[in-house]
This record gives sequence, structure tokens and C-alpha cells, in this order.
Amino acid sequence: MYCVHFLMGLNRGNLVRAVWVPEERQVELQSPAGKFWQSMGFSDRGKQCLQAEEALYLMECGNVQVFYRDLPLSIQEGYERFLSSETLTLHQYQVYGHLKRLGYVVNRFDLSSVPSEYERQLNLPASVDSRQRKPLKRKHSQSPVSSDNRSTSPLVKKTAEHQSETQVKSNESLAGQTTPDQPQEELMESFPAPEDSSERTWWREEHIQPPSAQSQSRAPRWDFKNLSFPDLGSRSRSACLASPDPSLLPGALEVGDCHMTPWLRRLNVKEEKLSRRERDRQRDRDRYHRDINRDPKVRDCRNWAEYIKLMEERRRQQQKQRPAHLWEREVTPLTQPVHCTSHREVMEQISIIKPSSWSEGVSRLPPADQWKISFDVYQPDTVAEFKKSHPGKPYSRMCVCSFDGPVPDLRIMKQLSCQSGDVPVTFAVVDHGDISFYCFKNFRLPSDVY
Amino acid sequence: MTAEAPDKSAEDGLSSAGGAGTTGTRFDLDKETELRFEVEAGERVQLELLSGMAEVFGSELNKNKKYTFGPGSKIAVFTWHGCGVSLTGKTEVAYVSKDTPMMLYLNTHAALEQMRRQAEKENERGPRVMVVGPTDVGKSTLCRVLLNYAVRLGRRPTLVELDVGQSSVSIPGTMAGLCIERPADVEEGFSVQAPLVFHFGSTTPGTNIKLYNKLTSCLAEVFSQRCEVNRKASVGGCIINTCGWVKGSGYQALVHCASAFEVDVVLVLDQERLYNELKRDLPHFVRVVLLPKSGGVVERSKGGRRESRDEKIREYFYGFRGTSFYPHAYDVRFSDVRIFKIGAPSIPDSCLPLGMSQDDTQLKLVPVSPGRDLTHHVLSVSSVDDDAEPGDGQSRGILESPVCGFIVVTAVDTQAQVMTVLSPAPRPLPRHTLLIMDIRFIDLK
Repeated sequence: MYCVHFLMGLNRGNLVRAVWVPEERQVELQSPAGKFWQSMGFSDRGKQCLQAEEALYLMECGNVQVFYRDLPLSIQEGYERFLSSETLTLHQYQVYGHLKRLGYVVNRFDLSSVPSEYERQLNLPASVDSRQRKPLKRKHSQSPVSSDNRSTSPLVKKTAEHQSETQVKSNESLAGQTTPDQPQEELMESFPAPEDSSERTWWREEHIQPPSAQSQSRAPRWDFKNLSFPDLGSRSRSACLASPDPSLLPGALEVGDCHMTPWLRRLNVKEEKLSRRERDRQRDRDRYHRDINRDPKVRDCRNWAEYIKLMEERRRQQQKQRPAHLWEREVTPLTQPVHCTSHREVMEQISIIKPSSWSEGVSRLPPADQWKISFDVYQPDTVAEFKKSHPGKPYSRMCVCSFDGPVPDLRIMKQLSCQSGDVPVTFAVVDHGDISFYCFKNFRLPSDVY
Repeated sequence: MTAEAPDKSAEDGLSSAGGAGTTGTRFDLDKETELRFEVEAGERVQLELLSGMAEVFGSELNKNKKYTFGPGSKIAVFTWHGCGVSLTGKTEVAYVSKDTPMMLYLNTHAALEQMRRQAEKENERGPRVMVVGPTDVGKSTLCRVLLNYAVRLGRRPTLVELDVGQSSVSIPGTMAGLCIERPADVEEGFSVQAPLVFHFGSTTPGTNIKLYNKLTSCLAEVFSQRCEVNRKASVGGCIINTCGWVKGSGYQALVHCASAFEVDVVLVLDQERLYNELKRDLPHFVRVVLLPKSGGVVERSKGGRRESRDEKIREYFYGFRGTSFYPHAYDVRFSDVRIFKIGAPSIPDSCLPLGMSQDDTQLKLVPVSPGRDLTHHVLSVSSVDDDAEPGDGQSRGILESPVCGFIVVTAVDTQAQVMTVLSPAPRPLPRHTLLIMDIRFIDLK
């Protein structure tokens, strides 16, 4: 078996010799690389190296002969030695090989090469172009997430963290606000204290008098019959007000009677401008809305406190009158009869599943360990111009999974698409060597009712 | 109030006007008339009281003192018993008018003063008055007149400013309460020394009516607490100035304000429909009064409103007529502050967690990541504690916390992660929670 393979390579005349370095989990080339070097391999400390999957693929193609302990490895041994949980799984390699054979350029996915949301927003050039990142010089990484993602910009990361933190905080504050009773002392303390507390006193007054108990007479506090407001609205009033008591006026003014008749004529000469909708609404309101003061119970109220209490009671009662079989169980109707004034409102109220976009709320999700993007894939027609140092934007990114494993849920898909940035993620599902590709598209359900 | 021989002072006034060599125009006003004038753009007009007594929006004029009014001012000098005044400078219009509703306003004041007396006697709270009406009917002016009359009688009324578009207390986009302790300055208006200001963030209540109503309730709560500890403030009552938006939700906001402040009197200016609706929707123990607007009220254009808003913000930073204050400009690192916007976009009720209602999204604090689009925005510095967690039940929320000041972002450097701000006080910022306004201010001039 060895010999046959060995001879096949020799016959081609361009078989590249290489050595498997198990500690580094990579293959070092011993003789100059062939044409494959354009899209595969990397340099490590001046040596040309191949990733495990690259070496295996090239072995299968018959381009590379890999030696281990001075003995050439068979393809079967290559599968056994190169593929492990620390390099690639068999499934991942199957996808890799499949795509490679179809002509695609396939690289391991490196999270740090994806511009962050923030960088994209600012339209910064992709950090791949910057000098400090040298993908060719990378040490092999145990996972697709390379260790040098810390060196991207720490500030950017920091603000992102800060944002998510504040977001969480604001959520908390929301919860805090819903608690109805807040200590009143807090409120007074939070008010900025004036500089000269002797002069202006918002809070502290030397002689604090306790407010007296509410006067318990049945009549309202103010007797407006004896308070002569110059009200142009009440036509029944006399058209002339007697001159007010000078002691009530500033500078002890003495003024004559106040004639109101001339003002009646001058009121509202201009017609109020209302749109048709406003006029309709007003007509409806006038039709169904009665004067609240015709209600004897309201007439019995003497002040705001009693009135507000009455309204509160009424509202509670109204809620009680709702049919019990609908409203007093765990599941209640989504709409209320009073709220259905337009199609739009009804649609909004009954739409249980909220349309959401991929990028929404991803930063708050805990990272999933099982699901990782494995490869960047570049289209075959770009191979001629492909440069390993500037790979550019991939055509797609691959996430490898199996039919035996779980189906990715929305959270995972959101996370992966967030990691991937503006490049689509394709799921390669392996079923005993058969590979099917799936991708998800983001679109909005048409809603023509609005 | 000074008893001087009118003839002599009249002569003095004439000679001083003539002696200065200026082209002062003398106006002699009969009793209960007013002189209305507008200052031309780019001009200044000096007003001087030569004889008799006169007042500008309820503040008395001192005799032989020169008052200067800047471009665009619209002033009415009213006299109860007749006076002589002189105007120096270019005016757009200047005329004497007999039909002024000051007599009705004075009678209104008299009735309110009666209520204050009764409150004093019964150890109760004084009248709470809400002034409503459409735009450009003189709501703010009526408030100023009533407050001036009250404070001249030794009362301590409170001005509650709910007009977020044209605030007379603080910059636009805020809702404020101000304790009035002395009559308004003829030129500058009420002295604004320790106002209680809440951040609203926009110039019309329609952008977030829930927040508007909530802040109204907040102000009412603070005012009630103040009345409990300060007897004088309680007797003085309050005068609430409202927005000119009187239809739909704007009207609902007025009714809500009436119940939050538990108002006793509603003064409706110049709109019978509003008067009838309020009579119908407010309980019988609230007195609704219809008053005419003054013939001197001038309608402001949209541009004029914008300019006056701009002027108000400039006044905040540079002082009255841009001369008295010297604001500071310094850099603030993004990492040192947290910036919020109030109100998230609305989502259907059914998508919300159980027990949460739509109010919560309109009142939600959304963190804003600093960017170039922040430039020229006005930011409020919230007085909430920096280390207080927003969800902390102990502290007052950011929404309900008053504002300690305002800054304007003049430049943003996203590379260096800093922004340059214009601030009334030198660095550092007193607090680090900032709320963004829709309002922009470009620091020119």
C-alpha cells in the first residue's frame, strides 16, 4: 500500500515532502510547495506549514507525502492522526474536502477577522488590512477563534461591553419603576439644594404649621358665587362687575367697575381651524360624552380627592363587569373591545410573534459553545486573484453540523450571524458522507392591511 | 408709589429727553390704556417713564429709569391712572390702545386674592390656577401679570411651566417649577435662581405624551410636598402655564394636569369650544373662566418660535443679551458618561411581557452610543446619583429626577472617544447621567 502510493507520487514528479509535527498539530513542508501554496498553507517562523485538513486533502490529491518518524503516512493514518477534536472533526473535514473538490477556496474561520458591528457602522476598513494583524504568521489555534482577537481594538470592545451593561441596567430600572410606592424622603433629597437656604426655601421653613384637618362641611371649599371672576362664558351673570376691594389689588389701586359687554362681542371672531378628522372625532365625542357634572355622584364630590377616588372605584367596577369566563383565567383575550378602533390597532394587538431582525439583542445572549463557524469559503472564480494575506470578504461562511445532532435554534442562528457580520452563514449538514447545505434568509412578512 | 408732583417730574422728563439730544417720542396715556410697541429687528429701544405710574406685564416701572428692549421684543406699557412715557430708538409699531383686557385680568386677580385670604384664614391651601388656550393668545403674559400682582401683595406663588415649546423658566424641552419671590424684571422676566426642572426632551408634548403626563404628575407631587412644609407657598398657590395644543391628546393632557394638580380655577383664553369642553369634563367644584385675549397679542411664525427657542438656550449659556456669562468648553470621554434617550419605539401590547403595558416603552430609557450624530444636541445632566443602579428601588429613577444643568455637544471625536461640550460650569460634570434632547443648538454668534 505504501509503495503504491509512494510510486504514484513519484511519477507525478512534483510530490512535496512534509513532516507531521504532532505537538503543533500541523505539517511542515520539507521541499518547496507547489501551486497549491497560492490558496493554502501559512508560514510559521520561516517554515512553510499546512493545517491538518490541508495536508490531508493534499495527501488525498497526491500532492504531498507526509512523513512521521521518517516513515511516510498512509491516507488512512492521516485520517487517524490529523483529525481530532483539537483540529477538525471528520464531519468538518468531509465538508472541507467536498468544497475543495468543487474548487472553492476554504479557510478556517477566524473570529477576529470579522469587523465588529461598531467598525462596520463607522465604515472602518476591515481590520484584516491593518498591519498589526498577520494571519500568515499565526500560531495554530486550537479552535477557530484565534487567540489574537484580543489585539483588535480594546476600546471598541469595551464600549460594546459598556453598552450591553447599560442596557441591562435600563431594564432593571424599568422593573424598579413599576413599583408604585417610592419613599418620599428620597424625592426631597434628590432635589438640588439651593445655595442660600436662608433666602429661598423650597423645603425648610422655620415655622412649619401642620396642615389642618379637612373641613368637613358638605359644600365645596370655594364659594364661587361670592368670588366674582370676570367669566365671559356664563351669560347669566351680570354684565358689569363691581370694582374690587382696593386692598386686594397691588399698590392699593382704585379702579372703577368692569364692563364685560364689549368683550363678549370681541370673543372668538376667528373660526377655529379643524381638519375633517378632528371634526368627526369631536362630533363623536359630543354625541357620546355626557357632562360629567350631570352625574349625581360627581355632584356629591366636594374636592379632587373625593372625585379621584370615585373615578378609581368606577374603573375597578368596570373591570369587574367584564365577562369572567374571558377575563379571569390565565389566558385572556389579546384585544379589548374599547381598543379596536382601526385595523392597524387590531393587527398590532393580535400579533403574538414579533418580527425581529437578526442583529437584534444578540449582545445580551450568552455564547453557545457547541456551535461554531468552521470555514470561510471563497468562490472558485476568485482563485486566480486570491491572496492569503488579503483574502477579502468571503462568499459565505460554513457551520458544520450533523443530522444526528440538534437543530440550531433561533438564538444560535442569531449568534452565528452576528459573529459572521454581513456575510451569510450556511449550515452544512453531514449525513454519513452526504452533505446538504442550508441557509436562512431574513425577510419581512408582507402586511397589506396598514 | 412715590408721591411726587406730577408737573415737575413731567418737566424733568422732557428736559432730560431733550438734553440728551435723542429723538425720543413722548406718549401721554389716558387712564386704563396701554402703549404697545414692537422693536425692529437689529434695533434697541429705550423706554422711560416720565410721569405718573405704569407697568409692563404687571411689573411697575421706575420713574426716569431707562429700560432697554432688544430686537423683536413686543411690549405693552399699561397705566391705571394715566402716565407719560418716552421711547427712544426704532420701533416697528408704536400705538396707544384703549381696549385692553387688563381690567378683566385685574378682577381675576382680585378673585384669586380673595381665595388666598380665605386659605390663610382657614389654614388651607391657596388657589391653584391653570391657564389654557390655543397658541398665541397671551397665556404666558397672563401668568406673568397674575404672578406679579400676587407677589406685589406679599404672596409667594409658584409658577409651573408646562409649555415645553416656549418655556419661560428654563430652556425649551423642559418642564419646570419656579418659586416667585419678587416681581419680574421689566427687561429680563422672573429671576430664575433655583428652579425645579425636569427633562422632557422635545418641543412638543405630542412626541411622548405619556412622559409629558408623568412629568406633570411629578411636578404636582413635588409641589404638594412643598406646600405641606411651606405655609406661604401653600397659600400662594400656583399658576400653571400650559401648551397651546388643545385638541386630541393635548386636551387630554390638560384634563390630566387639572386632576394631578387638583386645580381650583381654570382660565381659558379666547376659545369658547375649549371652555365648554372643560366645563363638561371637569367636576363642578373647578371654576372654569373664559377670558378674552388682548388685542395686542401678536401671532408668532414658526421661524419666530424657533428663533426665540434658540435665544433661550443662548441665554442659558451666555446670560441675558449674551454678555454676563462665560461658558466653558472641555472634552468629556465617552467612557465617563452614560447617555440615555427616553422612549423606545412602540411595539404591540401582546409582545410585551405579562403585566407590562405600553407606557413602559414610552417611558423606557434607551442607552445611546455616542456618535457623530450627537453633535449640536442639547443634553440634560440628570441629578440622579452616578453610582445608583437604574433598577435600584431605593433611589429615584432617572425619569423622575430633576435636571441640574444642560450641556451642548459641540464636537465628537469617535477615534479618540471624546466629545467636546459647552457647559455653564468648568469641568468636571457634576453628574454623569446625560439625557439627550431632540433639540439642537449651534453655538454661533
